[in-house]
Amino acid sequence: MSTQEKVAIHKLPTGVPGLDEIAGGGLPEFSFNIIAGAPGSGKTTLAHQFVFANATPERPALYFTVLGESAIKMLRYQQQYTFFNPAMLPGSIRFINLSQTVLEKDLGAVLEEITKAVEKANPAVVVVDSFRTMVRKQESDMGLQSFIQRLALFLASWQATTFLIGEYAEEELRDNPIFTVADGLFWLRQTAERNSIVRKLQIIKLRGQDSVPGLHTFRITNAGVQAFSRTFGLSGHARNPSSHRRLSFGIPELDKMLDGGVREGDSVLVAGSSGTGKSVLASQFIAEGIRQGEPGIVAVFEERPQAYAERAVSLGLDLETPQKDGKLTILYLRPLDLSVDETMHSILDAVQKIGAKRLVIDSLAGFEMALSPGFRADFRESLYRMIFALTGIGVTILSTVEVIESFTEFPFSTYSISFLTDDILRLRYVSIDGQLRKIVTVIKMRGGNHAKDIREYEITSKGLVILGKRMTNFQGLITGIPVHSDQSDSKEEPSQKPLTGNKP
Amino acid sequence: MTASPVMRDLVQCLLTYEAVAGKTSEPVESATLRVYEKLRQSIMAFAGIAGFQSLASRALVLARSETPILNEAQVTSDGYLLGLDEVEPHIDIDKDRAGEYPAGEGGVILTAHLLGLLFIFLGEALTLSLLRDAWPGATFDDRNSENGRKA
Repeated sequence: MSTQEKVAIHKLPTGVPGLDEIAGGGLPEFSFNIIAGAPGSGKTTLAHQFVFANATPERPALYFTVLGESAIKMLRYQQQYTFFNPAMLPGSIRFINLSQTVLEKDLGAVLEEITKAVEKANPAVVVVDSFRTMVRKQESDMGLQSFIQRLALFLASWQATTFLIGEYAEEELRDNPIFTVADGLFWLRQTAERNSIVRKLQIIKLRGQDSVPGLHTFRITNAGVQAFSRTFGLSGHARNPSSHRRLSFGIPELDKMLDGGVREGDSVLVAGSSGTGKSVLASQFIAEGIRQGEPGIVAVFEERPQAYAERAVSLGLDLETPQKDGKLTILYLRPLDLSVDETMHSILDAVQKIGAKRLVIDSLAGFEMALSPGFRADFRESLYRMIFALTGIGVTILSTVEVIESFTEFPFSTYSISFLTDDILRLRYVSIDGQLRKIVTVIKMRGGNHAKDIREYEITSKGLVILGKRMTNFQGLITGIPVHSDQSDSKEEPSQKPLTGNKP
Repeated sequence: MTASPVMRDLVQCLLTYEAVAGKTSEPVESATLRVYEKLRQSIMAFAGIAGFQSLASRALVLARSETPILNEAQVTSDGYLLGLDEVEPHIDIDKDRAGEYPAGEGGVILTAHLLGLLFIFLGEALTLSLLRDAWPGATFDDRNSENGRKA
């Protein structure tokens, strides 16, 4: 059989931002699905979003309510969400109460009620909320299985896409005949982590769809449920081929140390202790990109965008104009209960909006602090996914990280994340001649023949400026407490003239 | 708490429609009871019998505090209204004279409170959608709403 003869499964929009991508493009038409989870996990809201996204006057949605939340209160609360359109009721969306039937009769009578309503309305979508309250009635296992089987068959035959909503605990997942019948099983979880709530969604199964496996963060806002795919919505994107283009920092001497600049699509880590100029370097990297026509994003966690831009002015960098011109976005992300996926969503939105080529994350410590405590445990893994996803679409990332200065060690990062980065620049203080001076060195550069030099630099009104001399007259510079070597003078590099301010 | 003038206007609007429609249908019931029954059917469909019964009982209590004529009326467990028919005269309205003969005060107040509760719980938009579904020929606009009144 050729592929042309195969049945095409039409995918319906879920109405939940991010969920279509997780579901593999949408929800299969005519599928029989279960939304399971604990009370308050967002099951009803998710179902409502699907209903409002798909119901029409010609093919309405039938929403059967059973025991549990009062229908009036449910409608009262649900209409607070922005997706709730009262004009769609009752023409396109009809709420039908089955409480009395469930209380007074058996599952056969419930099926009969549903059948009558479906045959009358010819719905495209059917929801039974909460299905679990029916199951709790004293019915034999066989009776229940038979009911589910007949309901699934009937609704599929009537070309309806169905959701059964149920409150289930994790341990009920195994050996449950209801889950066997279902085509799709959506599990919503929420756990309290210290002072934050962490919500995760999992599509345990979805027949006929290539859904994204694993747990995905979701959030409930006044717009309803919003899901954040673990693959950040980039699962369908091919990785950009490796680029050989070099991106300048706008600091000629540093570019030379980097064999011409940072390779496009690299992840660069700038590590150093407080005050060494990490943010200055990051600002220069972004500003130079904008100067060369490469829009940029700066994600800041420790200071407001206005303060960030004002500080850049003192370095001779204008970050205000490119913001107005749509070439730069400074994102302030610090609500303290974010997941990496949500942060990524904000960053990706900004990247796609302005076509950003350079991204600065300033800093990783601030990023981690902005996360909900429950997500901090996954920080490294999440960071890996984020960097992999962004560099895969050709964005060059510069992250700053503060390290605790040691005079016996030379750490690159407190996060053990150096394996995530292609290039590492290390800034640090050294004590020389009664002064606390600064040095920079390139620790690592994948695919590049970087300089091995240790260079002194200063932060001036023009930003980070590398001084002209390679520091050859000291031993043990990276310890921070160097000693003078036998050489009386430092070597002058023929091509490296001091840019400004020679040391006295 | 008295029924708001807005709700009373809305009830009068419904009664007028029902009274006109009732002229051609048999048996003749009071317009008030027909409005109540349509609301019962409509609300019961999505809120269940218990849901409607609760609302109607609350509306009756509120209405009784306004008029003693409803002291004998009661809402049954399945939401039917008993006792109103006895205290309020049947109204037979000529189509050409619709609106000249307002329905009994008790029924208007009770229904106004019922609609008032729907406005409180479901909001104006959803309540009006529900009424439009129950009275397809009727037009309800912002004149019937608090917002409309203020405008």
